[in-house]
Amino acid sequence: MKKTPSQILQTPAVRALVALLLVLAYGVARNGNGAFFRFGTHRDMLRSVSVYGLLACGLTLVVISGGIDLAVGSILALGAVFFSLATIHWGWSPALAIPATLALGAAVGAVSGLLVSWGRFQPFIATLAAMVTARGLAKEISDNQKVSTVVTMADGTSKSAPLPKVFGMIDQRVLGDNVAVVTLIFLAVFALTWVLLARHRWGRELYAIGGNEEASRLSGVPVARAKMLAYVLSGAFAAIAGICQAAQEQQGDPEAGAGYELTAIAIVVIGGTSLTGGRGGVGLTLVGMLTIGYLDKILSLNAVSESTRLILTGAIVALAVLAQRSRK
Amino acid sequence: MKNLALLALVAVALVGCGSSSEPETKTASSGTPTSSGSGSTAGKKFRIGMCQSNNGEPYRVQMNNDILAAAKEHPEIEVVLKDAQNDSLKQRAQLEEFVQDKVDLIMISPKEAQPLTEPVEKAMAAGIPVMVIDRPINSDSYTCFVGADNKKIGIALGQWLKSKLKPGAQIVELKGLMTTPVAQDRHNGFLEGMKGSDAKIIFDVDMKFLEPEARKEMDSALARFPHIDAVYAHNDPGAHGAYLAAKAVGREKEMMFVGIDALPAEGQAYVAQGIEAASFQYPTGGKEAVETALKILKKEPFEKKITLESKFFTPDNVKAGGELVK
Repeated sequence: MKKTPSQILQTPAVRALVALLLVLAYGVARNGNGAFFRFGTHRDMLRSVSVYGLLACGLTLVVISGGIDLAVGSILALGAVFFSLATIHWGWSPALAIPATLALGAAVGAVSGLLVSWGRFQPFIATLAAMVTARGLAKEISDNQKVSTVVTMADGTSKSAPLPKVFGMIDQRVLGDNVAVVTLIFLAVFALTWVLLARHRWGRELYAIGGNEEASRLSGVPVARAKMLAYVLSGAFAAIAGICQAAQEQQGDPEAGAGYELTAIAIVVIGGTSLTGGRGGVGLTLVGMLTIGYLDKILSLNAVSESTRLILTGAIVALAVLAQRSRK
Repeated sequence: MKNLALLALVAVALVGCGSSSEPETKTASSGTPTSSGSGSTAGKKFRIGMCQSNNGEPYRVQMNNDILAAAKEHPEIEVVLKDAQNDSLKQRAQLEEFVQDKVDLIMISPKEAQPLTEPVEKAMAAGIPVMVIDRPINSDSYTCFVGADNKKIGIALGQWLKSKLKPGAQIVELKGLMTTPVAQDRHNGFLEGMKGSDAKIIFDVDMKFLEPEARKEMDSALARFPHIDAVYAHNDPGAHGAYLAAKAVGREKEMMFVGIDALPAEGQAYVAQGIEAASFQYPTGGKEAVETALKILKKEPFEKKITLESKFFTPDNVKAGGELVK
């Protein structure tokens, strides 16, 4: 079926691009002494937004199923702290520490999923509880301290341990210095999410559940299991984000990721995935991520004051959502 | 539907409990929690209640450790710590608990001045001496204040940097949360200390005392300016984040990084590793507070306002334990 030009303009992807183009135009106008036109600026933007992108991929799954996951920022911190403890202080090899960190994130996601699917909690409440609990766990296992190569002893002196190689491996650029490894990690997770949503049966089930949960149940969709898996993956992706965060900071900070869940939700919404569920996709989330990433970068390049940044970011979110409204 | 609402209510209550649960208490003498209000301890021992504003900050954890370490030297005192988790009203409640508990002395490192001024006055009126640490309150009704002067530290850092820079140097300033007096003082003091220098601040932004923010902002500064001589960050994690950004583009040797706080595990370690050219200490005052508390309890003379001396650390003096800021 062919689409007329006006129909193409009405597709969510094109509408999502409106906000992105607007932001890019702003970047061209205020290019920070030409820094906006240099390749390194774009490469660095992609690196710093990748952590948010990882959270947004998991959130996209949950949001399409009609839920929300507020716990991703806290799971990021838990993952960062656990990964740092395991690799720096317990001497685990990355081959063990990385799967263990993912499993931990998935486990927290599974608890949210259980509460939502079988406990019949509202997703907001279940993941709010998980958010608070995961933050507490991050502070508990780190003893309220940043987990770094420097260990403070009881008498106030400190000794330092070597930084495990895996930190440098994740926080480096590859392919001729052109792309950060964390960006590649994001792209891999993005591709996995895309395949699951667009090509896999489970993805279709998520859309069906988000569209009409009762009808899906009656037509034989395993609703509880499908929803549960969305939260598990969201938790695991947040743990991956935690590993990336730790590598970039060279430490596991139990306070890391506070407020990141809201940025991730903004990315999903700006892309055009509906918070009521059933509509959207991770490709849209990619556009949302670029919008937020570029806006942040341009404001930073121009050393714009914090107050102006907040106002402009709020305005862009509102504008992007407005552009998503159907114009019937 | 009713069921669901009930469940939600329970969940909210649970979450509420989680964040406002009993404060963690620690004692210097045994290191195990004590139940508050146990009057069975020997009468000779002085009991000190310490209201910490937020154990989530490394600086405050260090202050707690300094207090506990100093208290360990004096078996006649026992310190109970409460953490207000960055909440002024929670801190007020914990202060009132200590008053109810009739401890011999209260220490408080207030989160904010206004909400805690009256509670401190009431504790004083109840006959309990109150020592205010680090941040002031809005009245003179306290026994003793122990704190450092951020503006002085900013001035000292500015003067030090001025002496190290070539003429016409270009500086990046990564500011802390500019809505706080801490960041304002560190900024204004720095400008005052730099007076008379022709160095230029070419890029200044608010990184909110957060390392990931500092790294992101420094990325931008590096993209924009082909040459930078120095980075002044309002805290050491900020300087560390800026260093990592410069290192990622191979420019970390081009500029020097200076920061404030000089905690053993952060600033002092960064200086020792050659990351920071200098870190200026923001002392916790834990040791001084305990020593003054003893004077107060034993009715010996003491100064009402104690301004802490600060040290600075450079690669040359870090092994020797730093140098006093004049």
